[in-house]
Amino acid sequence: MKLAAGAFLGGAKSRLLPASVPFRFFGAAVVFHLLAWIAALRAAADWPGFAGGLGWPLAALHLVTLGVLAMTAIGASLQLLPVATRQPIRRVRGPALVWWLYAPGVAALALGMGTGAPALLAVGGGGVGAGLLLYAGLLAANLLGARGMPGIVAHGWAALAALVVVLVTAASLVATYLGMPLLDRRAALALHVAFAGYGFMGLLALGLAYLLVPMFALAPAPDARLQLVSWGSAVIALCCAGAAALGVLPVALRVVAIGAGAIATGLHLALMRRALCAGMRKDLGVSFALVRTGWTGLVVSLLAALGVALDAPVPGLPLLFGLLLVGVWLLSFVLGILQRILPFLASMHAAVGKHRPPTPSSFTRRRPLVLHFACHLSALAAMALAIVTASPLLAELAAAAGTIGALAYAAFFATLVRRLAAPVRPSALPAKA
Amino acid sequence: MKSEEPLRRWRDADGTHIDVRGLPAPEPLVTILSLVRQVDEATRVIVHHDRDPQLLHVELAEIGWRAERIAGAPGEVRLCITRAP
Repeated sequence: MKLAAGAFLGGAKSRLLPASVPFRFFGAAVVFHLLAWIAALRAAADWPGFAGGLGWPLAALHLVTLGVLAMTAIGASLQLLPVATRQPIRRVRGPALVWWLYAPGVAALALGMGTGAPALLAVGGGGVGAGLLLYAGLLAANLLGARGMPGIVAHGWAALAALVVVLVTAASLVATYLGMPLLDRRAALALHVAFAGYGFMGLLALGLAYLLVPMFALAPAPDARLQLVSWGSAVIALCCAGAAALGVLPVALRVVAIGAGAIATGLHLALMRRALCAGMRKDLGVSFALVRTGWTGLVVSLLAALGVALDAPVPGLPLLFGLLLVGVWLLSFVLGILQRILPFLASMHAAVGKHRPPTPSSFTRRRPLVLHFACHLSALAAMALAIVTASPLLAELAAAAGTIGALAYAAFFATLVRRLAAPVRPSALPAKA
Repeated sequence: MKSEEPLRRWRDADGTHIDVRGLPAPEPLVTILSLVRQVDEATRVIVHHDRDPQLLHVELAEIGWRAERIAGAPGEVRLCITRAP
């Protein structure tokens, strides 16, 4: 006896958030991506000498980290973890409220940084902090009820712990601008960079990759024991980096942290390589060219971190390290994964109530993605050169290329949303045998 | 009479069966798609699952197959996968 397709898909929908929830996070990430490059363009003259402090370079950096990276990670984890950990969606209002607190908070925070307005910075920081705390509660509830997938769950818990450090140090840094420092600024900054880049975002990226990469490549799940060994090395690395930031054997512990981070990275990449080699789907398109760029950035960022720790005589090395960590590793990886998630998610939502779901490929436009990839790589390369040569002109060209790439990515997203909202056309359905 | 094979696969009068219950994600998806690629187009694949395989429908649509839920044991999600007409 056959059951109605609608009944089955109705059940399937129980683990899907309403489309408006994940898509508002992903849409905001696409918009903040564009704003980040525009802010970088406005700050072109300041990039080569940037060493922190309020201004448009700091605003551009946080439009990327909070606006693109964390925004995408929140949307993806709220949607994907219930699927991975076999739990129904229990709360819809919570994720929506996270967005309403977080997205305006990011905008206000970036504006406060860019215009040098500490009050606006504090208001935006309050929204961002409240949104992230609520998200942390939702993520913890999901992880507490998780069944199986110990590697992914362990990464989730460690990312949450790192998020606590990021929020405390962020609050301290904002308070410094209000004239009420809570922690030593140098220590707070070192903790903030390590626990935001490699901790919260890095661990979420590594953990979700154990689910997403085999899923996209159609490969078996990576060895759970090796996932946990990689996770353990990453946690040791963060603990050492944290102790070093607080002044405990700063050089020695930084080197140990980088060594442990290298072991974690090596194991992770070996598992990823194994999954890609074993996968039934070999052509993963331009999205995985971005993902591979990100993985390369992760490895090179550790080398740059070693150079910074040992005070290597390379011009602009701390800034280069930041570019490698945020731009090359995390931004490339997240944009690559996002352009793969979006068509699948759109197809799953479009399938509800239909006998034959539209294919993910029917939601994708390849040309804007190829243009984005070329612009993204050009922008990162030019920005690295601008830092090394201290050239504002190169920084301006880099930001211009990044802006064009971000516009192309936005065109891809707009097409996908338009096709999702439109009635299914016969051409969107799978070909007949 | 069922003929048991490794990996919880067997043939029956109604098609080739595969039991993916208890496998971690994305193993059920990968195992089912791997089987679908091996069988001929006239074969029905009967999947014994413990949850709604959301991505499976999307992946099947990409290769011109489809899944429909059929009656199964209590607590089981049973699917019949056929070539899309």
